[in-house]
Amino acid sequence: MIRCSHLPTLFALVLGAIPAYAAEGGHHALPLDAPRLSDSLPINNSMIMVWLAVAVLVLFARIATKKMTIVPQGLQNFAEWAVESLYDFLSGLMGSHLATRTFWFFGSIFFFILTNNYMGLIPGVGTLGWNTIDSHGHSGFLPWMRGANADINMTAAMAFSFATLWFYWAISENGIKGFLAHIFAPKGSFKGVMLLVMIPVFFFVGALEVISILIRPVALTFRLLGNIYGGEQTLESLMALVPQKLAFLPALPFYFMELLVGFVQALVFTLLCAIFLKLICDHGDHAEDGHH
Amino acid sequence: MMTTILAVAQQASPLETIQKTFGLNGPLFIAQVINFFLVIFVLKKFAFGPIQAMLEQRRSRIAEGEAKLKRIEQQLADSETTTAAAIAKANEDAARLVNEAKVSAAALSEQKAQEAIASAQQILANAETAAQAERAAIKAELKQEFGRLVAATTSQVTGKILSSDDQARINQEALATVER
Repeated sequence: MIRCSHLPTLFALVLGAIPAYAAEGGHHALPLDAPRLSDSLPINNSMIMVWLAVAVLVLFARIATKKMTIVPQGLQNFAEWAVESLYDFLSGLMGSHLATRTFWFFGSIFFFILTNNYMGLIPGVGTLGWNTIDSHGHSGFLPWMRGANADINMTAAMAFSFATLWFYWAISENGIKGFLAHIFAPKGSFKGVMLLVMIPVFFFVGALEVISILIRPVALTFRLLGNIYGGEQTLESLMALVPQKLAFLPALPFYFMELLVGFVQALVFTLLCAIFLKLICDHGDHAEDGHH
Repeated sequence: MMTTILAVAQQASPLETIQKTFGLNGPLFIAQVINFFLVIFVLKKFAFGPIQAMLEQRRSRIAEGEAKLKRIEQQLADSETTTAAAIAKANEDAARLVNEAKVSAAALSEQKAQEAIASAQQILANAETAAQAERAAIKAELKQEFGRLVAATTSQVTGKILSSDDQARINQEALATVER
């Protein structure tokens, strides 16, 4: 039986093996840690991509909303369609109350992850950089830019920020008593002896739920990181299979797959966050559903 | 590199292994959290804000339009009801007026007929009175003429000049005979 304390080690071995094999295959592998740009300030090259992605999003939104009209056209139409579709999707999932309350977060996180995933696929991102030799004489490669979601600090920041907000939203929607009851209290209408039997059962289920809640941000972190870093690394490895002049060729089909993966991962991250929130805020009466 | 990871995994704790393998770094993580919230703020303010405001404006306009439409439909229904009621009332009033006019005309006609009858009767009465008066006058004149003729005849027959008393007595006797 594998003890829980060994799980992170297993994660490390599995994910670390990919770049390691790639490096041993004779070409530069993307480093898992984003290179720091300053020794004194906590800034790395994935942060540059973060702000480039924000700049792209803001620029797009500004152009789309420059001449807003009641009857939308062109970019405004596209921007409104994208935002409204996501809002309707979340509204259908969580109910209009929660969707309205949290759209600033879910809307931002979806488009932010999507843009970052696609920007990570721009040729040169993660592939243009400089070769390094450390003090032990080992050669390495540091890219000038790298996809923000291929940096664990970024994916962890998003996942743990959501986890914090999840607690805030869950408690503000249910109250502390309701929040704890939601996790530990028996569900259903048990009476008498059956209730006494079910209390320890549901308390145990609640304890498992707590572990699940604590694992969620870790799972969100590694799911996004693994998919995006894995995708970038796959493209990198495929390009190293052929002579440099033809390097684009084997990677080309996988670019289309990565476009799909980028969208799916943005959707999965947003969807999971929304479902986690819905689960804790679900009162089970479906009162709101009647309004739709 | 694989050997290095294995060596690190054997020597360090799991968290340290993750930190070293994946580059998880406390200050960088905190910086990214701050970065992330700044990103969300910027996106909300400059990207989603205007679009959401426009969507909200459109939603409220549509809701307002629907409310207006409902109000107009209600007003139309009210108006139709009011118009129908007004038309019904007008018809009722018109019928009542016609009836009243008919009654009034009949009364007036009756009154005028009665007046005409009264007037005709009056005319007849006047005519009868006048005829009676004329007959009486003629009768008196005839009596007077008859008396004068009787007196004249008597005077010529008898050859005597009659006094006023004789004339009056002869007249009365002659008239009494004639009237019998």
